[in-house]
Amino acid sequence: MATEATPAEAECPPQPSTSPSQLRRTSMASVRGPQKPIVPQHVVRTTPAAFPRPAYLDHSALRHLLQIEGPAPPILSRRADPSASMTSARNQAYANALSFSSDNDDTRSASSSPIPTPLPRVDQILKLPTRWSEQDRNPGLSVSPDGRELIFNGPSCSAEKEAASARTVYPIPRACGIFYYEVEILGKDQKAHISIGFASKSGNFVRLPGWDANSWGYYGDDGCALSPERSGFQYGQPFGRCGIDFSTYKAFYTKNGILIGPVFDNVGKNGDLFPSVGIQHTGESIRANFGQDPFKYDIDDHVRQQRDVTWNKILSTSLNRSVLHGRYRRTGVGSIASITNDTGVQQSLTEEESKQVLNQLVMTYLVHHGYAKTAHAFGRQCEGRDKGPLKEASNTSGHDPDVEMKASSCTSESVEVDIQSRTNVVNSVLAGDLDSAIGTLQKSYPTVLEADDHMLLFKLRCRKFIELFLETTEMKKKMKEMKEREAAKSKAPEVPSQDAWMDEEMSMDIDEEPSVPVPHRRPSIAPSPMDHTKELDGEELESPDTISAQYESALNAALAYGQTLTNDHQSDNRPEVQQLFKQTFGIVAFEDPLNPSCPVVDVASHDSRVALAHDVNQAILKSQGRPAQPALETLYRHTATAITQLGLSGVGAAAFADMSREFLQP
Amino acid sequence: MPPKPSIRKEEWERRLHDVQVTKSDLNRLVMDYLVIEGYKSAAEEFSQEANLSPPVDFESIESRMDIREALQRGDVEDAITRVNDLNPEILDTNPALYFKLQQQKLIEFIRQGRIPEAIQFAQDELAPRGEESPEFLSELERTMALLAFDSTPNAPPAIAELLSPAQRMKTAGEVNAAILESLSQGKEVKLVGLLKLLCWGETLLEEKMDFPKLNVLEGTFGETGKL
Repeated sequence: MATEATPAEAECPPQPSTSPSQLRRTSMASVRGPQKPIVPQHVVRTTPAAFPRPAYLDHSALRHLLQIEGPAPPILSRRADPSASMTSARNQAYANALSFSSDNDDTRSASSSPIPTPLPRVDQILKLPTRWSEQDRNPGLSVSPDGRELIFNGPSCSAEKEAASARTVYPIPRACGIFYYEVEILGKDQKAHISIGFASKSGNFVRLPGWDANSWGYYGDDGCALSPERSGFQYGQPFGRCGIDFSTYKAFYTKNGILIGPVFDNVGKNGDLFPSVGIQHTGESIRANFGQDPFKYDIDDHVRQQRDVTWNKILSTSLNRSVLHGRYRRTGVGSIASITNDTGVQQSLTEEESKQVLNQLVMTYLVHHGYAKTAHAFGRQCEGRDKGPLKEASNTSGHDPDVEMKASSCTSESVEVDIQSRTNVVNSVLAGDLDSAIGTLQKSYPTVLEADDHMLLFKLRCRKFIELFLETTEMKKKMKEMKEREAAKSKAPEVPSQDAWMDEEMSMDIDEEPSVPVPHRRPSIAPSPMDHTKELDGEELESPDTISAQYESALNAALAYGQTLTNDHQSDNRPEVQQLFKQTFGIVAFEDPLNPSCPVVDVASHDSRVALAHDVNQAILKSQGRPAQPALETLYRHTATAITQLGLSGVGAAAFADMSREFLQP
Repeated sequence: MPPKPSIRKEEWERRLHDVQVTKSDLNRLVMDYLVIEGYKSAAEEFSQEANLSPPVDFESIESRMDIREALQRGDVEDAITRVNDLNPEILDTNPALYFKLQQQKLIEFIRQGRIPEAIQFAQDELAPRGEESPEFLSELERTMALLAFDSTPNAPPAIAELLSPAQRMKTAGEVNAAILESLSQGKEVKLVGLLKLLCWGETLLEEKMDFPKLNVLEGTFGETGKL
């Protein structure tokens, strides 16, 4: 019983483990009476207190992997025997109970396995400690149904080190960067003998955290911090609000909302680490807050500061020559690579060299995406600067001239011509003008069409067929509208507009994906095969008869083209060719393939033009021996992958390298 | 020690594919570089071609670059005038920056062999500041030491470097950063941060596992663990 209840303690039920309000929740899944002090585990687990992930954890770059409670794997629920006598609701409760406990067991056995750790999976969910474990505790301790309270029912421990201890179900994922929890000591009617801290897997639950190897604790009695290396030194005022900072592998405690300071070294550096508590005297009890309630300490601010400290440390890293070049690659002259072959050269890039690396990354990026004018202006400006005193700089300071990678060399005339024709091809595809796309390709990049047994040519021709057919469906739509208009005219003499048709066309224009740049926004970017119908439309001269004749001839032209296509390619038995054939001709079966609800809209829509344009761009770049994505993009993706992997490999500081925050947010 | 886990190139590339980043994200990184590094006309073209709204007034890029160029050609006086034209508070509120500009001016006098002027300038302008702060004094001493050597090659590197173009670039860079800060704009190029993060991350990850190393400029990977 709490005799000197602080406001916080007063919120807690006096006898937590038998509180009716808490047991009420368990009784849904259990028939056990409320008198039982220790509730069977599978029943306990049916009442996990769901709560949102504490906000301070949002500062971790790996936040998307951190979970309060993972969803039960469906495969486990199936293990529950669906007995006929059970109602489906009870069945579900039973299945849940089973799956929760199985889930826990799985986690435990996986992390305790001594086999060489397999690579952490990228998509793995990291569960956060939210409750004391029913298994991993001293038998003298009982856990409250919500998993947050511990009460010591066993005989008081006499020896100094002895205690009944417990830890949480899940270890603390190091990907948190910083993990924090608070403990209130309940029923403190005598001098409490409680230690609060962290313990590794190997605890035997008969000693205070801090007395065993790989455990760290803060003695609630006299403010002594305990660790295996430094047993019992004065640290500060006693209390149990503690955190672990995996970017420094130090624990920290707080008191009255103030940080007492970091303590212990190498905490949790090796192996799993759990929040842990040890109690020495009968009747003593504690209640933990793993984020279920607001914290007394402004942990959010603490984490933000630590994140900034870590990030600034990262930004003070010098640019390492061999890392930037990929340590194992030693390629030709004319790039930074050649430097790594020299012995004993400095490993850090000079400011100027790093500028050259960046210029080249930016230039290849601009060229890759066909930002021709920007690339031109950028090249000129780089060149201008090279001619200035900077040029002199690199020559006099004795750097290897091979390091000189003038971005300007990328913008020679031929490169500009290349960007221009590549952009033209891409824009033609986007505009649905496949003839001109194929024409330019034949002229400028014949190998692209031939590559992979004319695969790209086939794709382009299929698209042309689709464009031809779409033209006919538009005409047909128009015919229908005209008929309706005629009908309306005969009823009422007003002139209905054709806005519906125009709107559709306009929206296709707007839909244009920004991922394929269009430097010159030419009017022809609108679906060009329909241009002539538009003209006719403007003349207002057409009769249903003429348009019907046009429709027929357009349909015949489309089908004739389709037959040529079949004749040319039907001997190609490659599955992807056959598949594309099927899809392409499949659209003929639909009256309005562009209707979003049409099953073949993916094949017909503007998005598929964008995808094809992207393919064409990639194919041209590939034929020139250039990477399929710009080096800058690969750099970003690679770095993100490496940092995530680093975080999953247990380097806590990686949690504070939040790339999307640092680089992508405006 | 158990052998380090290793990840194959194919698996690595699959993971690269899952990274969340869009073309417009990358466009913004490029724009950030063009603006901060002062590639004004490229930034203007890029905002058109990539349909990006310009993050700053392009004219401010121009004046920043004029200041930088003045420093790089050694015309410190012109640079100081231009900084004050842009925003007089920048130098008023930043004595360290002002000292660096004055120091650069002294260096330029010495470079041009205008020794009497250099000494006069040092005595009039820099010595009083050297009395204000030990850091300034030590820098002033280092600069004056240039006069002790009849030719630069004979001077120790720590002194001779003051005459190097890198010193001009350094000063220019610091002024650039101060101006950017006064415009309440990021001063660190994000792409530089990305490269630094790569160096930091790869070095640490290498202790944990074998993974394909990136050749940054070519955007290609080596095989895992291949030496």
